[in-house]
This record gives sequence, structure tokens and C-alpha cells, in this order.
Amino acid sequence: MFDALQLRKEFPLLDGYPDLVFLDNAATTQKHQTVIEAERRFYTHQNANVHRAVYPLAAAATVAYERTREQLRAFLNARYAAEIIFTSGATAAINLVAHSFGPERLQAGDAVLVSAMEHHANLVPWQQLCRRRQARLLVAPLSPGGALDDLAFERCLTEHPVRLVALTQASNVLGTINPVRELAALAHRHGAAVLVDAAQSAAGMPIDVQDLDADFLVFSAHKMYGPTGLGVLYGKKHLLDEMPPWQTGGEMIREVSFGHTEFAPPPQKFEAGTPNLAGVAAFGAALDFLTALGRENIALHLRALRDYAAGELARIPGLTLIGRAPETTGILSFAVDGVHPHDLSTLLGEQQLCIRAGHHCAQPLLELLGLPGGTARASFAVYTAEPDVRRLAEGLLRALRILRAVP
Amino acid sequence: MEENRSDLYHPLLLEYNRAPEHYEKRPEATVILEASNPLCGDKFVLYLDVENGVVVRASFYGHGCAVSKASASVLMRKIQGRPVAEIRLLLAVFLQLLCDTSAAAVAPDADFAIFLPVRQYQERLGCATLAWETLDQFFRKN
Ligand SMILES: Cc1ncc(COP(=O)(O)O)c(C=O)c1O
Repeated sequence: MFDALQLRKEFPLLDGYPDLVFLDNAATTQKHQTVIEAERRFYTHQNANVHRAVYPLAAAATVAYERTREQLRAFLNARYAAEIIFTSGATAAINLVAHSFGPERLQAGDAVLVSAMEHHANLVPWQQLCRRRQARLLVAPLSPGGALDDLAFERCLTEHPVRLVALTQASNVLGTINPVRELAALAHRHGAAVLVDAAQSAAGMPIDVQDLDADFLVFSAHKMYGPTGLGVLYGKKHLLDEMPPWQTGGEMIREVSFGHTEFAPPPQKFEAGTPNLAGVAAFGAALDFLTALGRENIALHLRALRDYAAGELARIPGLTLIGRAPETTGILSFAVDGVHPHDLSTLLGEQQLCIRAGHHCAQPLLELLGLPGGTARASFAVYTAEPDVRRLAEGLLRALRILRAVP
Repeated sequence: MEENRSDLYHPLLLEYNRAPEHYEKRPEATVILEASNPLCGDKFVLYLDVENGVVVRASFYGHGCAVSKASASVLMRKIQGRPVAEIRLLLAVFLQLLCDTSAAAVAPDADFAIFLPVRQYQERLGCATLAWETLDQFFRKN
């Protein structure tokens, strides 16, 4: 196991602000020193465009770029490196699938199935695709504790012509971890392809795409101690081979004439234009960092912190924890009677406690929970430790004393 | 990162939040406006009875943070019984006081003064101006 307090020193921002308690890691994580260093090293020693030039510097840049792709293959236990596509983030990866795979997959009258706990990024692209294709968007409901209602999920598959399932592996609001492997098997039995949104899980638990049998899986580097503006689409090779490109231009062609283009095979087919080269190099360092810590260890750490925080916060009068699913990651939402989450967040911010307030890009879910004003959310990372949670609990008590004071 | 911010939660503001004035649903009102901020989920309905250019009755109802609720409450109290022309001036004064941080931070009265700290909390500006902006937009269009 690792020591979170020690790890904190390896994150320059946190090291520079010793009093800061950063509990908004579901939005983005802080960056490890090796990530920052790798980005600097790329610009200082390796910067040239990839896949084009033949001089040594460009060859070195290409090697660095493809090295991260291979690391990701191993990170996900994908079969082929060509199944790893670099995008600008999880959102772009989902949109790629919705625009390239979606239209060919869906006929009028078909259905796409999502869950009620999806982030807007894994909801709006499907909603819009369904509109364009005159298909139906089905929403699998949650059970009262905030887990997916698996019976209702199955019913959707049995009763409707579902061609595609898009499901989050971990909810960014409730912390719920969905049994993606079982649900994917169920979906496949009903002839549906499966996209897994791993934005909240990729840095928090081991992921084996072959074991999950996901057709597509997406995530963002910036929630994994890596750089912003970079994400990954994993797709099964035979699907990627058949899919048309989404964006076209340079870097993704084999041969171009004025009248015709022959596209390169995947992954290049889906990587039009100059990619985020320095980001990719830096992401390699983040993956090394995660692998060295061990994702099983990280999962245990996050789970333990969440349980500890749930215990500490539950003692605060008027505070309700939102989300009590049996399997959870390091995300804890809560509401306080008569207190708006934004007021809490402002008063915590003054005590150097960074939490998130609002609907967390999951507006339909918050409406469903009867919390139109949203929740307050604390989300944890490898550098979060129990003293941070105690600071949060004390900070909350203090904020509530101020807000509830009667003049 | 360190900023010098003064206290956003004046006791009077908290009191308005706890016990808002003119806090009443009135579907029969002649003017009904929705003041909502989809970014944070704040949503109030403003109910106004306007007769011969005078707001004879004003109330609001809904949910939002302490800042948005207190500011809506103050707005209702200030506009009830006033002619629209005066209200428009009042709106301009309040919005300028909060939004234009280059202007002097001098509030015309105690009710306005409790919102002065918002000038240091740009991320909460939208809360303090929600009801006021909504009414301002309405008068601009009508
Ligand atoms: C579950 C989930 N999916 C998708 C996203 C979108 O990620 P990005 O904004 O990096 O594309 C997020 C980000 O908050 C998320 O939490």
C-alpha cells in the first residue's frame, strides 16, 4: 500500500499550497511531478511532428507517441495497440462513436439504452443521435440506494430493439460502481453493442477490456493525474476497421487525390490532424505512476476513504449522504437540510477546502433525486488522506454555524 | 491564489434567507417571470401586479442559494408600491454597484450594503443579480 501523505509531496501544486485540501478530483486531478516533467522534456528535447518526417527528431517524437499507445494497450489489456485511439477527451471519444458507429448501427425505431446516472457527456450525444436517426433513447432507472436497477435494465433489453448500450462504470455524482462486465454480457446477449464510460474509474480500479468485453471504452487523461485536452477511445479492432472516420484531414490518410481518399487503418483513421503530442508523452508518465502504485491498491484506498468520510459526515446534524450503493469509488455526494450547496462550497473555499457544488453535469439525475439545486460533492484521489476528511468535517460544521446563525 | 475577500454572509443576508419577505406564490399576478440559472439550478418565480405604471404588489417563490434568495427578497420589498420608472433606476443602481468593480463601493442603504461583498466573489455574482437581472430584462423588453 502507499502513503497518501507522502504522495502529496510529489504533486507540485499541493506541495506549494500545504493548507489546501483538494476534494474536487472527480472534476480533475492534480498533476504528478513526473507528468509535468515529461511534458517539459517533450518540448525541450523531443518536439517535432509525428508520423510525417524522417529526420531523427521526428522519429523520436513518433516513438514517444506510440510508446504511450502501447502503454495504454497494456493498461487496459487490449489485444492490439491499434485499438487505442487518442482523442481530446472522454467527451470527444463518445462523440466519435456516436457519429461514426452510431448512424450505421441504428435504424429508425431502434433504441439506445443509457442509465439515469450518466454524465451529460454520455447522454447528450446519444440523445442527439437518436433524434437524427428517429431512434429511441431509453433510460434505465436506479434503485433507491443509487445502484442501477438491473432488473429494469434487463427489461429494457428484452422489450425494446436496443442496438447500443452506453453506461458509466462509476457515477461522478453517486460514486456507484456498475457491474459493467455482467451488464455488457447481458447487452450482448440481446444483440446490443456496449460503450463503457470509464472517466471516473480509469484511475481508480483495474480495467481489463477483454474481461469486461466492452466494445468501446472511453476516459480522459486529466482525471488520471495526466494532462488536460487528451483522452482515449478503446474500440474492438473489427468494429474500428468497419467504422468510417469521423473527422478527416491530415495524418489519417493512406493516399489522396483530388477526387478520392483512401483512409489509413485504425488508429490513424480516427486521429485526423496533429494530436496533443506533449500531452501524450506526459500521459505516459501518469500511466507509469498509476501502474507503480497499483490500481488494486488505489481502489482500496478510495473505497476506504469514502467509507471513512461517510462515517464522519453522517455525524453532522441535518446532513444526508446521497448514494448508498454497495460498490462505490471515492466520490461522496451529500445534501444539508435548508442549506444550498453553493453556500457551503463558498464557505468551505474560504477555509481552503475545495469541493464541488451543483448538478455535476448530470442534471436529469439531480432532478430525479429531487435535488434541483444539486449536491455538494467531495471526491478523493491517491493523495487524499484521513486528515483531509477530518478537515472537511470541521469545515462543514463551521460553515453550518455561520449559515444557520440567527442574528 | 490568495485573495483578500470579505465576508459574503452578512447576518442580515442570512436572516433574509431564513425568513424571506414577500415570499408567496401568486399565480393570479398580472406579470409572472421566471428567474432561473440553469448552471446552478436556482429557480424563482416573480409575481408582480402592475397597475397604471406602478408595481402595487410583488412577491417571489422558489429555491436557490442564500445569496440569490436574500437578494430576491430585498428586491421584492424595494419595488412594491413603486412606479416602474423608479424601479428601473433602482435596478440600474444595484446592478452597477455589484457588477462594476471599478465604481465606488458605496451602497445607498443598508439593504444594498449587505451585497457589497459579492464584488469580491465574481463566481457568486449571478446569484446576487438573478432576480434583478430578470426584472431588468423584462422592463427592457416591455
Ligand atoms: C462520468 C463522466 N463521463 C464523462 C466525463 C467527461 O469528461 P471530459 O470532460 O474530460 O471529456 C466526465 C467528466 O466529468 C465524467 O465524470
